[in-house]
Amino acid sequence: MRLYLFAISLLLFTSCRKDDKDEASLFPQLPDYFPSPVYPLNENPISQDGFVLGKDLFNDPLLSSDNSVACSNCHVKAVAFTDPQHALSLGVDERSGIRNAPPIVNMAFMKEFMWDGGVVHLDFVPPNAIENPLEMDEKMAHVVAKLNRHSSYPGRFKKVFPTMDTITSPLLLKALAQFQLMLVSQASKYDKVRQGKSEFTTTEARGYDIYKQKCASCHTEPLFTNQQFFNNGLDTQFADEGRARITESALDLGKFKVPSLRNVVITAPYMHDGRFKDLNAVLEHYNNGVKYSATLAAQLQSGAKPGIALSVSEKADLIAFLSTLTDYELISDPRF
Amino acid sequence: MKSIIKLFTLLTLVIFFSCDKDEPATTGSMEVEFDNIAIVNGIQQQLTMATPGSTTYSYTNSLGQKFNINLLRYYISAIELEATDGTVYKDVLEATASGTKGYYLIDESKPASQVIELANLPSGKYNKITFTVGVDSTGVLNGATGGALDPATSKMFWNWNSGYIALKFEGQSDASNGGVSGAETIKADNAKGMAYHIGGWKNIPGTAFVYNNKRISFDFDTDAIVDAKSSPHVHMTFDVLGLFNGHHKVDFTGNHNVHKPSDGVDIAHNMEESFSFDHIHQ
Repeated sequence: MRLYLFAISLLLFTSCRKDDKDEASLFPQLPDYFPSPVYPLNENPISQDGFVLGKDLFNDPLLSSDNSVACSNCHVKAVAFTDPQHALSLGVDERSGIRNAPPIVNMAFMKEFMWDGGVVHLDFVPPNAIENPLEMDEKMAHVVAKLNRHSSYPGRFKKVFPTMDTITSPLLLKALAQFQLMLVSQASKYDKVRQGKSEFTTTEARGYDIYKQKCASCHTEPLFTNQQFFNNGLDTQFADEGRARITESALDLGKFKVPSLRNVVITAPYMHDGRFKDLNAVLEHYNNGVKYSATLAAQLQSGAKPGIALSVSEKADLIAFLSTLTDYELISDPRF
Repeated sequence: MKSIIKLFTLLTLVIFFSCDKDEPATTGSMEVEFDNIAIVNGIQQQLTMATPGSTTYSYTNSLGQKFNINLLRYYISAIELEATDGTVYKDVLEATASGTKGYYLIDESKPASQVIELANLPSGKYNKITFTVGVDSTGVLNGATGGALDPATSKMFWNWNSGYIALKFEGQSDASNGGVSGAETIKADNAKGMAYHIGGWKNIPGTAFVYNNKRISFDFDTDAIVDAKSSPHVHMTFDVLGLFNGHHKVDFTGNHNVHKPSDGVDIAHNMEESFSFDHIHQ
């Protein structure tokens, strides 16, 4: 009788509860000064198989029309998943794209993607490259068909998404997201200093002070971007409308998303069109190259002339600080 | 002892049923059909579709420009039915990688897609329908979605400005001066092509974003009676000519290549007025 009672109580306790076994998400522990991920990780829990599947898809030129271009062509691990050579992305048949390939790092924390913020969810980023005629020039439906015909992908997808019948585009995008979400940059020297495990040199410390005074309002810690859109005075005529292409508002002409400064030293060339080959050119732009236009960022209009005055020694100190944002653990992590 | 056993039997019963949701006493179903038509001289005609590239023109707009139709596809979502007693049935909306509920892609080339089956409706007399043409934020912000919203199979997704096209029309007109890009059935060298991709789902006050989805309601002329034995068939119509001949007269010379929200505002307005409630088969 007692046993019956006990069994019943157990049943009562467990019968309505959802299966809440720990999904053992691989997503890394974050430093306490990091924000929470924007990406809903609970809706696409990162599994070992899913992450590795995403990585292999990221590196597979099957995703392009002539099987020649993989995501990793323009997003190279050694330089924080950007393109070290080309100002503009290079697609199938050596076609030149219209913008510079940005680093794929800390995607989990981003609200909007691409230089103009037109993409509102990480899942929707890859089709922009896959279906762009100047980039991978493929169709999602055709990629899905190729994957379903493949010798190993169907089985690997099934392992990650057990309820699926065939591979579909959302499953492809969820797998790619699992890989990209894992690319968290949080182990630079800057982070170690913040965590009390290292110290800045005198030059780096001076650079950090200058950064806080002159850069931090847009390139805000700890992601080193405030995720807003600004016109930083590159042009007076806007061949690329930037943010205005999405909002369709003239108030946003020539504005682009503030890029993160994490790993900035290794992610040349710079700007949405890759026009600056090195950081000196970038800093000199802010010092003496900012052009006035109606949508120019207010932050660049506080002095006598547009821009941010930077002396030669300030520039050197800033570059010393920016070098502490390189995450060597990320770019040498054998998992990626 | 007997009473204790009775108690446990009761408990066991409770366990069996405790996870079930309350079901209404009776349910039934309803079919809602979206029939794409052309109203010519006040008379409803079934649509004649053309093969891409064909210069046979079945239709004329109010500016006298001849045209044909290669493709017509639109989303219906967030359906609500109001009963005569004031209760409102809301069709469940769900968007996940494994599939969707409550989003319906009406495709002129797929007759089965034009009939929406609403199952498990509470029994009642329904006299009003409300639906959205297009896909609102719930369908976009959950990320990559399967079923009716699968971007690869629906071909209704804007990659560059993530969100779903509410209505896609493609065809040809002898008044078009060509140069259409980014179309599904119109090749780049087609000198007579037209493409109208009407979208824009960001309904955010205080921003410049253009919202082109439309929420539309219709009263029925008779009650649609739903119960275990009775499954009414509600017949809606969509007049394709209304897209161009409605409130705004669309000139196929010049305005024939719409691919962003702001360019689609007038046609979205026309689209809203091109839907009608027609009749109910009880």
